[in-house]
Amino acid sequence: MTSRRIRHPWNARPAGVLALVLLMLTLVGCASTPRLAETTEERLPRQLLLDDVPFHAQRDYQCGPASLAMVLNDGGVDIDVDTLIPQVFLPEREGSVQPEMLATVRRHGRIPFVIEGRLDALLTEVASGHPVVVMQNLALPAWPMWHYAVAIGFDLDRDELILHSGEEPRRVESFRRFDATWARSERWAFVALPPGQLPEGVRPAAAMEAISAFERLHGAEASLPAWAALADRFPGNGMVQFGLGNARHASGDSEAAIAAFERAVSAQPELAVAWLNLGLARRGQGDLGGARDALERVAAQPGHWQPHAREALDALQEE
Amino acid sequence: MMKKICRYLSPLLITALVLGSLPVAAAPASPGSDLITTQAALNAERGQADRERIHEILARDDVQQQLVAQGVDLAEVEARVAALSDAEAAQMADQLEQLPAGASVVGALFAVFVILLVTDILGLTNVFPFTR
Repeated sequence: MTSRRIRHPWNARPAGVLALVLLMLTLVGCASTPRLAETTEERLPRQLLLDDVPFHAQRDYQCGPASLAMVLNDGGVDIDVDTLIPQVFLPEREGSVQPEMLATVRRHGRIPFVIEGRLDALLTEVASGHPVVVMQNLALPAWPMWHYAVAIGFDLDRDELILHSGEEPRRVESFRRFDATWARSERWAFVALPPGQLPEGVRPAAAMEAISAFERLHGAEASLPAWAALADRFPGNGMVQFGLGNARHASGDSEAAIAAFERAVSAQPELAVAWLNLGLARRGQGDLGGARDALERVAAQPGHWQPHAREALDALQEE
Repeated sequence: MMKKICRYLSPLLITALVLGSLPVAAAPASPGSDLITTQAALNAERGQADRERIHEILARDDVQQQLVAQGVDLAEVEARVAALSDAEAAQMADQLEQLPAGASVVGALFAVFVILLVTDILGLTNVFPFTR
């Protein structure tokens, strides 16, 4: 028995070409030169290049360690790519993942702040002198080509970004092409700053997470300048003052800690945890009356910290 | 002989490990004496359940094993895990396979090569250096 192949009467090629053209048109429709906010345009210089940022060419797949070395060296950390490779590179994946990029910065005494995913925020950081590590997908979502590079400058008249990227120092990319590749990483970017410096547009919640992660690794004393800077930036944020108080307390400066806790509760009287620590810190200093005042405020309010405050009050009665 | 040693050693090891892990579990439940840490306050503010906290603590062991499996030098594994924040450790434990790894290589077929060449020329991608 023979089987006969059925021949399609029509050719699929024109349909395929049409589909490809439509695909291209939709893709092009998505990508356009990103617009900067007018306030950003006014604030930034027209051209800028951080020409002190050292360049390390990547070898093999090691754009992660190379990018880290550039920002760390620029921030005054003396470290080379070869030391960083075993600290951040995943041999089986032949690459480096985002959480470990941040963790490695932390390991070397700098605080990694993930910045807001907007070109405005990126250029603002560069303009304030901080090279920015960016993650790009240089290819398409279906066949990703993930890449880390370091943004070091820009030209607003020509809509161009300047990056130390891969094997190429001071590579020039149009805002449009850069933004298309950056958008595929959900515009992920971070700066590595010494404790005491903050990104320009940092939000208090994100900064507190970044600083307390640093504190977990390096201790309160090392993170104290960061808390102090954050408290200066956001004097009306009770939680920030609370963090400063804790760092001061853990560094042994109880009086200054109490002052910070007092600022926290005067800025945000409903912040129970700040009243709680204020009470505990006052008790530690022998101010039992003041401790009772603060703890009673927490004990009277139903909430997460109420049981803690009640126990502390009970302990106070026994003293 | 070996068996005998093991029989005595195992309970000791188990006890030591359990005791070693106790302070971690017990730390959040000792009010009254120490101040509430900033991290604990932030977690409470986010409404994070204790279950999630425990998950994050256990995540570190997980990540440690995963890093070894990924070919990371044993001498480095511990320091790498220690440098992660709780949230980063949980992210690594849950989705290391899906996390993008910056490497700048594309394992691609010829058809993909052509498509990427076109998108490069359109300025959507940046795979080939000669298309700029």
